[in-house]
Amino acid sequence: MLSQIWIVWIKELRDGLRDRRSIMSVILVSALSPVLFGGMFTVMAERAKDAEEIKLPVVGVEYAPAFVDWLKHQTGVEIVAPPADPEQAVRDRKQDLVLVIEKDFEKNMARARPASVKLVSDSTRESTRRQVQRARALVTAYSSQMAALRLIARGVAPGVAMPVEIEEVEVSSAQERLAMQLNVLTLLLVIAALTGGMQVAIDTTAGERERGSLEPLLLSPVPRVALAAGKWLAASAFGGASVVFSMLLTVNVLRRVPWEDMGIRFRVSDADLMSLLALVLPLVLFLSAVVIFSSTFARSFKEAQGYIGMLILLPMLPGVISVLYPLSNRPWLAPVPIFGQYALAADVLGGRRPSVVFYVLAGLSVLACAMVLLGLSSRLLKRESIIFGR
Amino acid sequence: MIEIRGLRKKFGHVEAVRDVSFTASDGTVVGLLGPNGAGKTTTLRMLSGLMRPDAGTILVDQADVAADPVGVQARMGLLPESRGLYPRLTPIEHIEYFGRLHGIAGNTLTARAKALVARLDLNESANRPVSGFSQGERTKVALARALVHQPRNVILDEPTNGLDVMSTRSMRQLIRALRSEGCCVLFSSHIMQEVSALCDRIVVIAQGKVTADGTPDEIRKLTGRENLEDAFVALSGMEA
Repeated sequence: MLSQIWIVWIKELRDGLRDRRSIMSVILVSALSPVLFGGMFTVMAERAKDAEEIKLPVVGVEYAPAFVDWLKHQTGVEIVAPPADPEQAVRDRKQDLVLVIEKDFEKNMARARPASVKLVSDSTRESTRRQVQRARALVTAYSSQMAALRLIARGVAPGVAMPVEIEEVEVSSAQERLAMQLNVLTLLLVIAALTGGMQVAIDTTAGERERGSLEPLLLSPVPRVALAAGKWLAASAFGGASVVFSMLLTVNVLRRVPWEDMGIRFRVSDADLMSLLALVLPLVLFLSAVVIFSSTFARSFKEAQGYIGMLILLPMLPGVISVLYPLSNRPWLAPVPIFGQYALAADVLGGRRPSVVFYVLAGLSVLACAMVLLGLSSRLLKRESIIFGR
Repeated sequence: MIEIRGLRKKFGHVEAVRDVSFTASDGTVVGLLGPNGAGKTTTLRMLSGLMRPDAGTILVDQADVAADPVGVQARMGLLPESRGLYPRLTPIEHIEYFGRLHGIAGNTLTARAKALVARLDLNESANRPVSGFSQGERTKVALARALVHQPRNVILDEPTNGLDVMSTRSMRQLIRALRSEGCCVLFSSHIMQEVSALCDRIVVIAQGKVTADGTPDEIRKLTGRENLEDAFVALSGMEA
C-alpha cells in the first residue's frame, strides 16, 4: 500500500513539474505575499516619515516673524514659499496644505486678542490627513505656550486655564499594533497553501476524468485510497513548496522594511516565523484534501475551477472575521481548521507564544479532517457515475 | 479463460444488458460482435470489475470478479473504450507507471517496457511526450500499458476504432501473436470483416442479448446465409 502511494506520488510529481501552469501557479502565489508586504510597509513608513517631516507653505511670513521663527525651530518643520492662490493650489492638489497668516496677526497678539491663521486643506484627501494634523498640532502648541506665558505674566498659574487634562494610556504594545498588520501574512500564507497545489489537485482528478485516463488507471490492481493518497500528497507538495517560498521571500522583504521610520522595533524573530510555518504547513494537507475531494466530482477542468472558485472564500472568511472580531488570545480555537491557524498565528505575531500542545492539537485536527476527506474521495472513485460519467 | 453467465445491467429504465452468457477459452480469439448500443461496452465494463452487474457471474481463470476484483485485474489486460493518456509523459513512462502499479520493478520492468515498445513499433517515439501523437500511436501506448503485466486474458474494446490501414494490420498481427502465445483474447467490434478475419469464435449481441455463438461456419449455417455480413444483419434483428 505505501509503495503504491509512493508510485502514484512520484508519477504525479513528475507530471506536475512538467506542467507549466502548475509551476507558474507556485511562482505567482509565492510572489504575492512579498510584493504586497513590501508595498504595504513601504507606504506606511513613507507616511510616518511624511507626518514627522513637514514642508509648510506659509503665506504672510512677514506678519508674524516670532511665530514663524518658533515654527522653524520645531523638529522636522521646513517653511517653504507659498503658492500665489493657496485655495486653488490645494484644490488642484499642487499643495497638501497651506498656512495663511492674517495681516493683523502681530497687532492682535500684542493686544491679547485672538490672532487668526487659516489652515487651507482638503479633508477628502486621506493621504494628507496626518500632515494637516501635524500642522494643527503645531499651531495649537504655539497657542497654548503663548497662553501660559500671558497667564504667568498676569500672576496666574497656567493650570487655572486647563480645568480638564487628558492623559492617554495606550495599552496595546507597538508590537501588537504591528501584529494586526502582520495578520495579513497569515492570510497570504493560507492562500499560498490553497492555491499552490490547486493546479496539480485538479489535474490529477478532474483532469484525469476529462482526458479519459481514469478508467485505465482504475483497471490497475491498486486500492482506490492509495490512488487518492498519492494524488493528495503530490498536490500537498506543491502547496507546501508555495508556502515555504512565500515565507522565505516575505522574510527577506520584512528585513528590509525601514521599521525605525515608523517608530517600531521589528521583533518578529526567526523562531516566530518557524512557528508560523509549523502552523500553516500541516494546513496544506487539509486544504489540498478539500480540493482533491471537490474536484473529483467535476467532469472537467473547467467545472472543477468553478467549484474551487468558491473554495477560495474558505480561507478568506476567518481572515475577514478576525478584522471584526479579533481571534487573538483564543488558543482553544486550535482544533478548528483554518480558524485555529489564524488564532494561533495572531498570538505568535503579537509576541505571545502559544504552548506546543496547541500546535500539536491544530496539526492533528487538520490531519484527521484530511484523512476523512481522503476516505470520501476514494469512495467517489468507486462510483460508476464518476468512473464512466464523462 | 473467461466465463460469463446470465449477465444483466439496467440503467434507469433502460436494460442495456439483458442476458449475456458466453465462454472464451485460452488460445482462442473471441469476437464480441454487435451494432452500436448493443451492450458490448457495458459487458466489457462489467468484466473489468469497474461496473457492478445487476445479476450474473463473471469468472476469469476461475476467479470471481465480484469477489476479488483486484485479483482479477492482475490477470487481465484491458484496453477500455477511453484511452486517455498523460500528455506530458512518454510512452516508456506510461508503460513503466502501469508496470509499477502492477508490482513490477527494476530490470524486469525496463526490459518489458523495451520489449513492448519494440513489439508495437513505437521505438522512434518512445521517449517523446505523447501530446502530439496520432490516434494510432495513442492506441498503441494505451495497449502497451495494458499488456505490461503480461496478462493471460486480453480484452480489447473496439481496438481498431479510428486506426488507419497500417495500424489496423499491426493490431491484427498482435492479436494473432497473443493467441499463439496461449492467451485468451476477447475483442469487441461492430465491423464484420474485422471479426471474420481474426476470430475463432463469434458471439453476436443485439439489444443486450446473445443471439448467436459459434465459429464463423456455424454462424453461417445457423442463419442459412452464405455471406457472413448477411448473417450478422439477420442476427442483429436489423432486417427490414
